[in-house]
Amino acid sequence: MSRTILEVTDLRKDYSQRRGLISMLTGQGRVIPAVDGVSFYLRENETVGLVGESGCGKTTIGRTVLRLTDPSSGRIVFDGRDITTLSRAALRPLRREMQMIFQDLDAGLNPKMRVRDILREALTVHERPGDAEIAGRIRELLEQVSLKESKLANFPSELSGGEKRRVGIARVLAVRPRLIVADEPTSALDISIQAQVVNLLRDLQKNLGLSYLFISHDLPVVELVSQKVAVMYLGRIVEMGLAENIAHQPRHPYTGVLWSSLADKQNTEVSLRARSGVAAERERRRNWGVFDFEQPASGCRFAPRCPLYKDKGRPAVCTDPASEPQLRDVGHGHVVACHFA
Amino acid sequence: MDTGTLLAIENLRTYFYSRAKRAFIRSVDGVTLGVARGETLGIVGESGSGKSVTALSAAGLVTAGPGVISGRIDLHSNGTRRNLLDGLENYARFTEQDGRVMAVEKDERGWRKHSERLMAGVRGKEIAMIFQNPRSALNPYSTIGKQLVETIRLHTNFKRESEAKERAIHWLERVRIDSPGLRFDNFPFGLSGGMCQRAMIAMALSAEPSLLIADEPTTGLDATIQSRIVDLLAQLKTETGITTLLISHDISVIQRLSDRIAVMYGGTVVETGRAAEVLAPEATARHPYTAALLASIPSAETIRRKSYLQAIEGEVLDTIEVPRGCRFYGRCNRVTEAIRENCAGIEPPLAEIAPGHKVRCWLYPAAGKA
Repeated sequence: MSRTILEVTDLRKDYSQRRGLISMLTGQGRVIPAVDGVSFYLRENETVGLVGESGCGKTTIGRTVLRLTDPSSGRIVFDGRDITTLSRAALRPLRREMQMIFQDLDAGLNPKMRVRDILREALTVHERPGDAEIAGRIRELLEQVSLKESKLANFPSELSGGEKRRVGIARVLAVRPRLIVADEPTSALDISIQAQVVNLLRDLQKNLGLSYLFISHDLPVVELVSQKVAVMYLGRIVEMGLAENIAHQPRHPYTGVLWSSLADKQNTEVSLRARSGVAAERERRRNWGVFDFEQPASGCRFAPRCPLYKDKGRPAVCTDPASEPQLRDVGHGHVVACHFA
Repeated sequence: MDTGTLLAIENLRTYFYSRAKRAFIRSVDGVTLGVARGETLGIVGESGSGKSVTALSAAGLVTAGPGVISGRIDLHSNGTRRNLLDGLENYARFTEQDGRVMAVEKDERGWRKHSERLMAGVRGKEIAMIFQNPRSALNPYSTIGKQLVETIRLHTNFKRESEAKERAIHWLERVRIDSPGLRFDNFPFGLSGGMCQRAMIAMALSAEPSLLIADEPTTGLDATIQSRIVDLLAQLKTETGITTLLISHDISVIQRLSDRIAVMYGGTVVETGRAAEVLAPEATARHPYTAALLASIPSAETIRRKSYLQAIEGEVLDTIEVPRGCRFYGRCNRVTEAIRENCAGIEPPLAEIAPGHKVRCWLYPAAGKA
């Protein structure tokens, strides 16, 4: 079994929000726990998918594990080293081993630099190779991301979305990372280009032995690329396990809802019948309250929207502030945070 | 159901002049489409395919300086036929060379004034729109209720404040907004993205339009919210029978809501037909682009085998340097030696391969005869 490259234990990240004169004067503001006690690990050459709705803390986790923002508490161990409190200077040599692909295609691409210079800069951040070596490495990078050499003279604004994404990936590869946090790497691209990039990322993993933390809301893509998937809801992991189990045998009602909302959209059969009124399930879901992550419910935070909670006749345990469900193992490393899983 | 045509778009061309590139961007380049009363026509395509610009042209919203439109857009309503582009050609003069627009002289003010005259009583009343980003389409300084009441008083016979308010709450209820009486006084920023989209839909429908244009109504919303908005649109469609022009890049949304589908690529319609036929997985007679688009979405089978996605090679066509032949030629994986010459040199016509099913591709013999 391959070794663990990243281990995150009870990670928390609070953002405080100060609004109005009184909270400014008293120094008290609301604290929003964007990430609220998250633990997981990532093995070498493995992909862990992180899914959930916007605002659930996916991106915050990605940024925090790379120490792009500092955690409020918890422990981050990268390749056996605790990096939770390492100073900026001590982190610097480690930065090259862990990189991020941002959702924004233009992130990291200086609009005033040509592709060649963007790549050259990335190659010379951590070392001082000679000109010949730089040229060789640039060629190698272009080959790795299948980008034409003619694009080297272009500015980012002259590139298409897919090409920008490839340059962004080449730039990340320039420092020879081992861990890549890919934050919605395909969501800004056209459908026909998304497939190219997904294939590219999988090729790179195979050839270079990369480990990915793959953040996305595109469930089929996550299922395709990941060995393990963690489902987040309001700052917490509510279910985690092998990708195929999460997708096809979800144990947490939220996971079920996420995947079925996808299936619903695709299912024309259902929609044709929807016109004459479909299952009660649909009706129930329509009646969900709107979620509010500033005031999570007491007890299980998913209870207000949970179809199971209503089915079970609103059991008290779900809203008991003293018993927020904890992740527990239901076999084969599959963990679920639900009283009824 | 009256099956007559409500909206007929004929050879629509909408070009924008790019000063930076000193060339015309041929966003919509000869589109012919019909929307029958009561049906939902879904236009699917990637960014730059011209799907949104087609809709904007129909709503008279292409007013940007360098935008020029030609063709016909006929709206049949109240027993009359109106060409929404009628007379606009008098304000712009094209210089063409081998069927390509080389230069345009345009009387900008006259054009805009005339366009506004044509759209008066049409936009908002006959044709209502919902957009991708509901929050930016709503007025942030005014409550949801006020905006609804304004629409209702302007476009319907509910002119008195009190009846308009009653009507507004009725519409909030119909789009399944919880406690509509309370939400009436909310500002857009107090509502979630999904709620804002519901409010937008209420506003669009409250004018009782003949045609609803929904431009990417679910894009940018969360997965679970998306499916609820799609549910809502499906229900409203059954309840009101409203004619809809639905635009989306999300094939699943198009698939669920549309009766007929038009697939656009590089400013033209490459395939059109009944939804079930165009997107049926077993159908073999379909445009290579439609087939490739469907194949590039991970299927259950792909995921199970962890196999590669069938990507469409190359880049999305930019509509400045439009090739002479088929626009998809450079990326197509189904070109055979027998038709290669045609593919590279002559743009295929949109030919009927089965009743109501048209494909723009040299692969289908019917295309040769057309």
